[in-house]
Amino acid sequence: MRSYISAYFTDEEDLLRASKTLMEKKILILDVLTPLPVHGLDKVLGLKESKLPTVGFIAGAIGTLFAFGFQTWTFVVDYPLFIGGKPHFSIPSFIPITFEVTVLFAAVAMVFAFLFRSKLGLGAKNKIHDERITDDRFVIIIEANENDEHFNNVKAILEQEAAHEIQLKEHK
Amino acid sequence: MYVSPIREPLIKGNKTYSQITKDIAAPIEGKPGKAWYMGLTISLSAMFFGLAMMGYTVWEGIGTWGLNRTIGWGWGITNFVWWVGIGHAGTFISAILLLFRQKWRTSINRSAEAMTIFAVMCAGLFPLIHMGRPLLAFFVFPYPNTRGLWVNFNSPLLWDVFAISTYLLVSLLFWYMGLIPDIGTMRDRVTSKAKKYIYGLLSFGWTGSVKHWQRHEKLSLILAGLAAPLVLSVHSIVSSDFATAIIPGWHTTIFPPYFVAGAIFSGFAMVLTLLIVTRKVLNLENYITLSHIESMNKIIIATGSIVGIAYMTELFISWYSGVEYEQYAFLNRATGPYWWAYAIMMTCNVISPQLLWFRKLRRNLVFTFILSIFINIGMWFERFVIIVTSLHRDYLPSSWSMYSPTIVEVGIFIGTLGLFFSCFLLFIRVFPVIAIAEIKTVIKSSGEKETKNETL
Amino acid sequence: MNTNYILSKKTKQVFLSISVIGSLLIALSFLLENPDNKQVWMNVLLNNLYFLFLSLFGALFIALHKIAHSGWHVSLKRIPEALSTFLPYSAALMFLLIFGMHDLYHWSHHDLHDPIIKGKSAYLNLPFFFIRMAVYFAGWIGLSYLLRKNSISQDLSDNYKFHKQGRILAALFMAFFAISSSTMTWDWIMSVDPHWYSTLFGWYVFIGLFVSGIAAFILIIALLKSQGYIDFVNKEHLHDLGKYLFGFSIFWMYLWFFQYMLIWYSHIPEETVYFAQRLNGFPILFFAILVLNFVFPFLALMTRNSKRNIKWLAMVAAVVLIGQWLNIYLMLSPGILGETAQIGLIEIGSACLYLGGFLFVVFNALSKKPLLCKNDPFLEESFHYET
Repeated sequence: MRSYISAYFTDEEDLLRASKTLMEKKILILDVLTPLPVHGLDKVLGLKESKLPTVGFIAGAIGTLFAFGFQTWTFVVDYPLFIGGKPHFSIPSFIPITFEVTVLFAAVAMVFAFLFRSKLGLGAKNKIHDERITDDRFVIIIEANENDEHFNNVKAILEQEAAHEIQLKEHK
Repeated sequence: MYVSPIREPLIKGNKTYSQITKDIAAPIEGKPGKAWYMGLTISLSAMFFGLAMMGYTVWEGIGTWGLNRTIGWGWGITNFVWWVGIGHAGTFISAILLLFRQKWRTSINRSAEAMTIFAVMCAGLFPLIHMGRPLLAFFVFPYPNTRGLWVNFNSPLLWDVFAISTYLLVSLLFWYMGLIPDIGTMRDRVTSKAKKYIYGLLSFGWTGSVKHWQRHEKLSLILAGLAAPLVLSVHSIVSSDFATAIIPGWHTTIFPPYFVAGAIFSGFAMVLTLLIVTRKVLNLENYITLSHIESMNKIIIATGSIVGIAYMTELFISWYSGVEYEQYAFLNRATGPYWWAYAIMMTCNVISPQLLWFRKLRRNLVFTFILSIFINIGMWFERFVIIVTSLHRDYLPSSWSMYSPTIVEVGIFIGTLGLFFSCFLLFIRVFPVIAIAEIKTVIKSSGEKETKNETL
Repeated sequence: MNTNYILSKKTKQVFLSISVIGSLLIALSFLLENPDNKQVWMNVLLNNLYFLFLSLFGALFIALHKIAHSGWHVSLKRIPEALSTFLPYSAALMFLLIFGMHDLYHWSHHDLHDPIIKGKSAYLNLPFFFIRMAVYFAGWIGLSYLLRKNSISQDLSDNYKFHKQGRILAALFMAFFAISSSTMTWDWIMSVDPHWYSTLFGWYVFIGLFVSGIAAFILIIALLKSQGYIDFVNKEHLHDLGKYLFGFSIFWMYLWFFQYMLIWYSHIPEETVYFAQRLNGFPILFFAILVLNFVFPFLALMTRNSKRNIKWLAMVAAVVLIGQWLNIYLMLSPGILGETAQIGLIEIGSACLYLGGFLFVVFNALSKKPLLCKNDPFLEESFHYET
């Protein structure tokens, strides 16, 4: 049976400091759960930059090409018609829809990439560690191993960094 | 983040994180008052009246409207443009103000975005009904059909289809992504099993993990970057419905940016109308403070002045152009049979907002509320003036005509008002009106204890 | 921290030599190309406008950020303030037009039998033209002088009285500029093609003004930094200015597109003639302007790091500055010189001549006052923020 330590904080400053100390002491942090985005926490934990902008850019570029190409194909190749004295290949006319489709593709792709990567979505069964996390508690989850020394060591660090509450729980 | 001591606090009353959650969740957890039920009853009745009128239109045909051969666009398109315009404030607040780091946005973005979505829904109804046979509305999409024909990509009306549906979808995504953490909060607060299940489902399994937050923030920023030009494009494209034509009074190149400014102007007016009441009824005066109202009023005066300059530019250039039809179109607007509509538009949109130069009036709730209604009316008349007065005098005097709406058109408009307010009333009972997680991020730097209030 | 800028002899020599090279090129042009009066005056007007726009941007930037209660820009404000000190010189140069009206503006001719221009004579006539010009400059110079003075007085004050007054001045400037920015473009640029009109024109030119001003701002920061000054300007400031350059380049393209598209779509000969002349006579320039002012900055400043790298940002800014100069060239030259006009030695020479003088005035103004302001209530915010 594996277990983990969850340390509760009431202030993000304490949380930031504690995370920093734990990282310095090379103690494995499984997750940090907060009620609001804590500025600079991702840097402290050494998280990699999110690649969502790249997803957005690629999807947007596909949208641009698709929309412009499709309009050109229908109006120049598939069924050319004279409408309002405009040339078949009338670039200015195609630009508004091209722009909208670009934005649409980029936005939808990014939202889906976000949900997919974060394993969020309708019916997602993520474990809710504590109901107070979405209110005012900041929690660090630390891997605990079998020996008590490790637990006491971590506990000492956390208490020093003004942890409000420390619990040892078991993985289900 | 350091905040200058002379800035006003954005949240009053020394709130803690927990208090913020409680205050904002309170309207959802408590029982609704009499006023709410009354409001909903009125709105729903208006909506059903509108639905009946829509049904009548579809059954009998567009002939039930006051349109004629000269004036083919009347209330329907006026209402369409009016609603789309109102739908611009939400995304402006959450996208452009986010990029400009305006922290006061956090108190109002949620409700403004919700309002945006409802307004765009109302807007979308009008072209749909105006088609006469809404069941064939799918004709506007470019799908391979037996006729082998494609839709007309040269037509601004088709650009509208793409612009409005993209706008609705992106606004919805933006709004819902922002809601996820707050639905998580609600899930963890409610006690009844059924509610917990529903909020749990809607929260998409939000845990508050740091990795989620990191991606969530990035997503919001990039979506804001995408939504900012999108806001501009939507009303610009709507304005092309008129400006690409060669009808005097419609064909003028200033339309796109001027429509956008007008849209933000009317959108903020509607946000003020709603929030001045909402903050009072839901006891959110500590979160939507006078300084928020003042900031919104400043946007109103800025955009109102831009709209005023655009009116003047149009007038001047119509004279300067030397084209007699242009000159007549504008002269006729101001002094012709519809002079009263022009006068209402000028008074409500250009003259009355200038009173906001006075700080006392910017911070006066009653004045702001009345002014916001004035602007809503004025902006409706702006669209009416553009559409009807430009059409009612044709090149041939034999086709000159006048237009007055029938009860059916008025009814449909009232119906959309009912739909809009019903949606808003339901929204404030179901979802947090203020972005809980977002407003918690500014409490440290812009709460009351941090900032001294030295009035400047 | 060294906040007093010293205009070194070497820098002065550089500025002087830019002007000297410019003068030599002009002299060479007179020998080789033999430009006529029209072309000479076109160059005067073009550079007058270009450098007037940069210097107007200075005052506009201060006023805009002041009424918006912006905090981030405060530590940088001496630079736009210095830009605005060129305004009196702009005024003097612009009044030279008294001698060039006949060559520049067709509507100023007496012996016209043109009913369309006659219809506009209540607005387009010589006395009113110069009265308007005097009013614009009086307003701009007066208010920008007061804004700069106010900001310097705040340095020496221990309360926020000046800060408060400055806001009123800023609001006045914005109101005045909101109207004059449109009318000046009708007067000086649109009336070059006296038959043509477009309601969007004023706002379109205004966004060009804003973009070129931001680019100049960035380049001055890069120049000062390369000389070892303003180390308080950090990557966050650059990022913000980069975002401005990126965002307003897109906005410029938006207005350009809609003005073009609406005229193209409606296909009214009186209106399309404007673009037909430019597209047929100057096809390369026509598209080069779109690339330099939109495509390039859009792609080059898309990522976060590109906006935080001063060398890259300065390079993009320089490209945009050239693009905006060409943009004004294409607005003026076909109307004044016709479709056969070409960019020759005299164009490059006069731009250099003006540039040297402009840089000297601006950097001289920078050396007169400390580069970092003091006692502004938002100054601290300008040091501690992250984009």
